[in-house]
Amino acid sequence: MKTATRLSLVLILAAIGSARAADTIKIGLLAPLTGSWASEGQEMKRNVELLAAEQNAKGGLLGKQVEVVVEDDGGDPRTASLAAQRLTTRGVVAVIGTYGSAVTEATQNIFDEAKIIQVANGSTAVRLTEKGLKYFFRTCPRDDEQGRVGAAVLAKTHAKKVAILHDNSAYAKGLADEIKEGLKGKPVEVVFFDALTPKEQDYSAILTKLKAAGPDVVFFTGYYPEAGLLLKQKRQMGWKVPFIGGDAINNPDLVKIAGVEAAEGFEFLSPPVPKDLDTAEAKAYVAAYQKKYGEAPSSIYGVLAGDGFRVVAKAIEGAKATGADQLREYLVNGLKNFPGYTGKISFNAKGDRVGELYRVYKVDKTGGFALQP
Amino acid sequence: MSRRLLVGYASAAVVLGIAPLFLDPYWVDVLNSVGLYALLALSLNLILGDAGLFNMGQAAFYAVGAYTAAILSTQLHVPILWALPVSGLVAALFAALVARPVIHLRGDYLLIVTIGLGEIVRIALVNDVFGLTGGANGIFGIARPSILDHKIRRPQEFFYLIWAFVALTVFLFHRLEQSRFGRALNYLREDPVAAEGSGVNTARYKLLAFALGAGWAGMTGSLYAAKMTIISPESFSFWESVVVFLMVILGGSGSIPGVLLGAALVVMVPEFFRGLASARMLFFGLVMMVMMVVRPQGLLPLRAPRFKRSDLPRAEPAPGAAPGGAK
Amino acid sequence: MEQFFQQLTNGLAVGSIYALIALGYTMVYGVLKLINFAHGDLFTLGAYLGMTLLTSLLLQDRLGTAAGLLLLAVMVMGLVAVTGAVLERAAYRPLRESPRLSAVVSALGASIFLQNALMLVYGARYQVYPDILPQNAVSLLGLTVPVVRIAVVLVSVGMMAVLYLFVQKTKVGTAIRAAAIDQGAARLMGIDVNRVIRLVFMIGPALGGAAGLLVGLYYGQVNFTMGWTYGMKAFTAAILGGIGNIPGAMVGGLLLGVIEALGAAYLSIAWKDAIAFFVLILILIVRPSGLLGERVAEKV
Repeated sequence: MKTATRLSLVLILAAIGSARAADTIKIGLLAPLTGSWASEGQEMKRNVELLAAEQNAKGGLLGKQVEVVVEDDGGDPRTASLAAQRLTTRGVVAVIGTYGSAVTEATQNIFDEAKIIQVANGSTAVRLTEKGLKYFFRTCPRDDEQGRVGAAVLAKTHAKKVAILHDNSAYAKGLADEIKEGLKGKPVEVVFFDALTPKEQDYSAILTKLKAAGPDVVFFTGYYPEAGLLLKQKRQMGWKVPFIGGDAINNPDLVKIAGVEAAEGFEFLSPPVPKDLDTAEAKAYVAAYQKKYGEAPSSIYGVLAGDGFRVVAKAIEGAKATGADQLREYLVNGLKNFPGYTGKISFNAKGDRVGELYRVYKVDKTGGFALQP
Repeated sequence: MSRRLLVGYASAAVVLGIAPLFLDPYWVDVLNSVGLYALLALSLNLILGDAGLFNMGQAAFYAVGAYTAAILSTQLHVPILWALPVSGLVAALFAALVARPVIHLRGDYLLIVTIGLGEIVRIALVNDVFGLTGGANGIFGIARPSILDHKIRRPQEFFYLIWAFVALTVFLFHRLEQSRFGRALNYLREDPVAAEGSGVNTARYKLLAFALGAGWAGMTGSLYAAKMTIISPESFSFWESVVVFLMVILGGSGSIPGVLLGAALVVMVPEFFRGLASARMLFFGLVMMVMMVVRPQGLLPLRAPRFKRSDLPRAEPAPGAAPGGAK
Repeated sequence: MEQFFQQLTNGLAVGSIYALIALGYTMVYGVLKLINFAHGDLFTLGAYLGMTLLTSLLLQDRLGTAAGLLLLAVMVMGLVAVTGAVLERAAYRPLRESPRLSAVVSALGASIFLQNALMLVYGARYQVYPDILPQNAVSLLGLTVPVVRIAVVLVSVGMMAVLYLFVQKTKVGTAIRAAAIDQGAARLMGIDVNRVIRLVFMIGPALGGAAGLLVGLYYGQVNFTMGWTYGMKAFTAAILGGIGNIPGAMVGGLLLGVIEALGAAYLSIAWKDAIAFFVLILILIVRPSGLLGERVAEKV
């Protein structure tokens, strides 16, 4: 009986809480505001809200003000699917998000069935755009591109024996597989392919095992906390073989964890970090962000979310409509070389961003990240 | 089953039956979540509440069921509703296999072993054991269930499927409580030595309870897989086991309506306080500590049979007393 | 062959940390027959407190590295000990007479509470220790071993030795052992069991806190989920050695560390954590009393 009373309460509250129609254009943002990637989610929110405010100052979209509806996906698929469901009931015309391929994947069908455009900013798994989903796009690159670049970087080092280390997460293993694929047919032997456990502290066992395999270079595709520890412990052991990393390494804390001496000379792949964005508009945007929030954006994925918002806004203006089919039509066919802050943006029919985004970075003597030519 | 309980169930059924007509898909999905967790909590209740076995690894059986259904659906194209009983069976067999060597352990040790088991299963899933589980990516492309050629896709449709299963489970488990099996479980929970002495083969009943609870969790897993269409190891972490454990303890271990209430509260309260998500777990921890001191029997505990005044006339006169003599 | 010995030293270093934490579990269990799930989080608390004190007081600059670290250790151990005592009073004392399940649930609740409290205070990201220990390596029997690794083993073993002597040779230590054997009889002998319990809840967590500080200094990085992994492994170590048995915890810890390191080296790294759980389940099936300890399973 208590259950019945409680359920009645739910019904009443839900009726009160249902979405009300308002005269704004609602654009949703699905982001990890809590959980392990909270820092990414917070930046995504800041970027999109700043851009929405700028758009509104210019008169909004199609004469209406833009409203950003934010939902937290907690960095895990189940919370994300509930959050996505919630967004579909709020009258949003498009959703930006999210970070983390597995998390995005859990929401794809929901938005597709609700006919809402989704523009992901931090989900690089290849298969997300291989399912034929009409309304799914992404401003971030794909792992196979990173794999190609990774293999090319490895080839340039003239290494004969390569070790590949990942952390069994969807992203890292995917990237590790892509790099292994990319090395096929090249005169390089992969002498080691295994995973470490993230969130651990002691990698001396793994490093010792790696060392015993005798590689010329080690490619680590996992995240920056583990990379920092690996570099630090590698130095403690006195092992000098160079390490290269993927784009999840891109975080200033890497140097804090490893220590400047251990991190120096470490290379990694990444889309350009915000401070290296070279167009005049990008620099102006970074300055505006700095002015509003007191610090420059540190994650490129936040800026990619911002670019996601901007292409959606452009599509709405260009198509003069908010229906999913018209927006898709515009994004695939009408949007060519849009001047995004992260570079020129065009989408192919699968929803992928066209063009090469990955660059090589090296940690310099002061611990800064220097863009390599 | 008491009258009050029947009335309670009937009114809940009516409210739930019409709920999807009034709620938006988001809240319907929340209720779907409640339904799935209710099934899990009921399955754990069999093991923890009825048999008194400390089990904090229920997520492992949930995972085994979900992955079995997923593999059957994606590799062998078995319709998901046919995969349901198979997942239950696989989970039950798995549980029987792993519980057999450890079933005799004392309370907290069994607890630790089940935690370890949960972790081993999760690590095995992440490491793509047997090449079947897809590693950290999990398995995607699981088919939607279809009944009589109607594909179940929208939250409202899943609502009826899930809650029908909940209703069936509640009914069956109540019958089980009254059965010989249920009574044996109660007996061995209260006093294992006496039970063994009375001829109850405690090890066998414990194992059966474990297997049955695990099998039910496995079936719930296949429902979950069908609903999400993708599953990954993250959904079956230790935290999941803790949440289900908490639902049983909070609601009243051994009490079916209590467990249902526990599931409803644990799922819905955070949905009302979405803004305070990070403090949610802190709150859970606090609730656990406080509950044990303040109300350890849970919110809707089993009612111990009470002897009321009105039972007196029905009581037999003591042997040796004057027949028909009243005092 | 070189890899084998390197992994051995790795294992000993990690194992000695497990042993320090395991001591806390084993002492509490011995006296209260309770698995203190929150112990791993007390360990994490030690690591975080160490970081905060280190970065705010800068003792190493004022007193020199050795003296500064010593003072830091004393402070951290003291603070964690107090937290342990408070925990006992708040979460476990009221449940002394209750069925075992209540205490277990409360312990779990305390663990969740502590872990998330740390997360809310310090944030979910990894926190970094300032780099103050020497980073060089020495050559030992033909192997290159980092100095810090040797230091960790020596410090841990040293603390364990002190504890062992305390429990065996002092009056208070004997009281603890008596309470572990039979609380009722100990009370009859005039031992204030409540005080003994409080003391155990101060010593155990203090050691755990010291382990946290060591881990922070050694690895340089702390995170609020540390307690879960280390706690589980330390608990496995305690069971391996025989729960309730102090030398057992030390042996169990070192042994588990070595098994893990060798398992990672010769089997697969990805399954490293699972190894600890396998060991746990195996021990409980095959020899539940542990290597050096008491009976725990009741066969029905």
